[in-house]
Amino acid sequence: MSSIIFRRSYRTSSSILSRYQSFSTLFQSSSDLQSTNKQQNHVSGLESLSKNASGFGSVLNKRLNFSCGSCLINTLPFSSQAAVATSDGLTVDDIVANQWAILDESESDWKSHASAVAQSIRLIKKRLQWTQLKVRLEMLSFQMEKPDLWDDPVHAGRISREHGSLMGKMKEVNGLEQELIDHIDMIKLAHEENDPDLESESVKALLRMRQSVKEKELEALLAGEHDSCSCYIEVQAGAGGTESMDWAGMVMQMYKMWAQRHGYGVTVVDEMRGEIAGIKRATLKVDGEYAYGYAKAEVGAHRLVRISPFDSAKRRHTSFAAVAVTPILGDASHHVQINEADLRIERYRSGGAGGQHANVTDSAVRITHIPTGITASCQNERSQHQNKASAMAVLQSRLDQQEMARQAQMNAQYTQSLTDNSWGNQIRSYVLHPYRMVKDLRTNYEVSDPDSVLEGEIDDFILSFLTDSMDKENDEA
Amino acid sequence: MNLSILARASILSSTLTSRTLNRTIPHRPISSSSLSYTPTSPNPKTPLFLRPPIFTATLTDLKKFQTWAQTLASSVGSSFTESDNGPCSEILHRELNWLIQDSVQTPDILSLNSDSKTDAVVKLRAELGDLYLLWKQRIEERRPFQYVVGCEHWRDLVLSVEEGVLIPRPETELMVDLVEGVVKERVGLKRGLWVDLGTGSGAIGIGIGRVLGDEGRVVAVDVSPVAVQVALFNVRRYGLEDKVSVKQGSWFEPLSGLEGQISGLVSNPPYIPSGHISGLQAEVGRHEPILALDGGEDGMSDLLHLCNGAASMLEPGGFFAFETNGEDQCRFLVDHMESVHNNSFCDLKIVPDFAGVQRFVTGFRS
Ligand SMILES: C[S@@+](CC[C@H](N)C(=O)[O-])C[C@H]1O[C@@H](n2cnc3c(N)ncnc32)[C@H](O)[C@@H]1O
Repeated sequence: MSSIIFRRSYRTSSSILSRYQSFSTLFQSSSDLQSTNKQQNHVSGLESLSKNASGFGSVLNKRLNFSCGSCLINTLPFSSQAAVATSDGLTVDDIVANQWAILDESESDWKSHASAVAQSIRLIKKRLQWTQLKVRLEMLSFQMEKPDLWDDPVHAGRISREHGSLMGKMKEVNGLEQELIDHIDMIKLAHEENDPDLESESVKALLRMRQSVKEKELEALLAGEHDSCSCYIEVQAGAGGTESMDWAGMVMQMYKMWAQRHGYGVTVVDEMRGEIAGIKRATLKVDGEYAYGYAKAEVGAHRLVRISPFDSAKRRHTSFAAVAVTPILGDASHHVQINEADLRIERYRSGGAGGQHANVTDSAVRITHIPTGITASCQNERSQHQNKASAMAVLQSRLDQQEMARQAQMNAQYTQSLTDNSWGNQIRSYVLHPYRMVKDLRTNYEVSDPDSVLEGEIDDFILSFLTDSMDKENDEA
Repeated sequence: MNLSILARASILSSTLTSRTLNRTIPHRPISSSSLSYTPTSPNPKTPLFLRPPIFTATLTDLKKFQTWAQTLASSVGSSFTESDNGPCSEILHRELNWLIQDSVQTPDILSLNSDSKTDAVVKLRAELGDLYLLWKQRIEERRPFQYVVGCEHWRDLVLSVEEGVLIPRPETELMVDLVEGVVKERVGLKRGLWVDLGTGSGAIGIGIGRVLGDEGRVVAVDVSPVAVQVALFNVRRYGLEDKVSVKQGSWFEPLSGLEGQISGLVSNPPYIPSGHISGLQAEVGRHEPILALDGGEDGMSDLLHLCNGAASMLEPGGFFAFETNGEDQCRFLVDHMESVHNNSFCDLKIVPDFAGVQRFVTGFRS
């Protein structure tokens, strides 16, 4: 009997252990999560006990004969909607309400750790728009049940993907709550049993959770539908000739360096240089996870104040550069269908007879989508075919974004940034003279070292904006 | 620059001039000599980007080269463009980046502005001295960039090219799209025998080899032994030996016995009127083989020859596509086909390139 109870109680704990390993999958696509869950269910407690040679597991090992009347409560599947509670009835909400003092991580006080974890979970829920998420999930589940759902496979695919993805988020957060409760139970148990080894092991485990859940707070900022996508960053110089073209070039450089710091792939797809300095406009492709999620915080007009090196009279100038960001949707079923017949494809900067007459290495291509007038060009590739393919990809993402903006207006729950006109929306000011400062006009976050910012250190600006806008928006909701 | 570099420079430029001299001897066998053999002679040069990175230089020296080459590129300004529609500085700067990409094993090291690791050692696919030389040839002799790096990016292919074989043009990429469009609608053609006459580097032949079905075959023909060697190299590099065979000979000559059995015939034959040759852009006129360019007095000799041949070689329903010099040649060809070969061809079309020039004539054998 006791060994059966142990097995059951262990199962919960083992899922904690495997969840430690699967943390990186948090907020990722549903299919990943499902497979993770499956794996957890298939591994029997004892089997994984021997595999997991962690301290936690081996301590448990010593206590094989331990009996615990309350363990059954913990065997509820963690996806359950019912609020989880410790053996003495403490829930995550209770912990938040208790407002136990949150001390430094180095203080080995379980209440402080628990309180910090509970706060984090609450923040994550807020960022995920928990209440809305539950409503949406219910609605999707309802649609999934409909027998005629797969009559329209494209629609059905969308529904089931979104359902899977929201379900995954839901399960992960519920999993976090369960994990916190499990840790507390374990600590209390060890305390009652007068087992200081187990107690300190368990407090350490809780501390590890405290640290990892902190990272999840950040990830929850990037839980938007397209946040994990790669993206294009487009920079355009404002009025004001060479000075603003130079500024646009500096902004482009800032993003290149930022992207490189993050280990993203960076390619200039399209660039129109200024005659004397900088760029008139350019499109940068940033390849990597969450590139869009971060870069979307940069949409808007960036303002520079300095003594212009291009002004012989050494006057102070104010210039602007506009930044637009479009996600590159990985999932083809999200794409707007483009009809070949609606496209006009032109080679530009070509003159003369062409063909055998000319040796060129420049095969720039511009594609116009005639119905919308949206254009895209590329001249950075080494063949015309590849330039065309890259320009098509840019065009696709612009059309996709336009479509998202249209839908966003209908749904009204999307963030504003997608529809904002970049010029009308001044987001940041870079002052090099008479004082030195970069200030975000949305968050008031500022730093006094413009050089580091222009060398690509913009993460703090991005994070403060994301935190701010998320938390504000969801308070209003 | 040190002495050994200079020495190499003079050797290289003398081989260059001798080639240029050979080229000026007009040699235009139109269905004359019978040279149908598969040559085993000179191996094509390996493109720079495929050579092993067995040379080294310090990052500082490499940066020095880059700065020197940039200065040289900038000094050109728009002078080439004004004299013969050649490349301007901006384009040369881009070419320089590509040269570095092709010759440096880890080219990113130059774009990261880490001044800290200046004595880091970088691996190169050519000696640094040769890079100086190559770039000098590019600017001072107007040697085409594609010959400098030994390759041309064409469609999604990277084709080896060298002196003696025409550098495939961006316009010509569309020939493959035309074929792709046709075989999508007439699936039978996908399984047939196709020919690319005057294949040069093998570009069109390889391109269509990749859009045909498993049973489809291509014969790529060229009279130039260098072209045949280069085309073979490229066919092998894309693993298409079983699909694309390369034959040396003049136009239809290697195809005797196949009359009425060809499903598709494509060609970009020489079409520049002889009188235009002397005024060509330096990269073309001074460096590319005249055999690939000169189409006789009105530029139509080879096109007309091919057009006549198509009437007898194509199977009923077979497709053809020719590249031309522009609107006049397109019209002339269509006229010729309609009047001289009336009822032989149908669905004749003139198709523009992306610059809006009426570039291609396509149609079917009735
Ligand atoms: C304009 S180039 C085209 C090369 C290649 N198809 C391309 O598009 O890049 C013309 C080609 O025709 C070849 N050619 C010239 N006269 C020929 C002949 N009599 N028979 C076969 N090929 C010939 C030349 O050697 C040259 O490779």
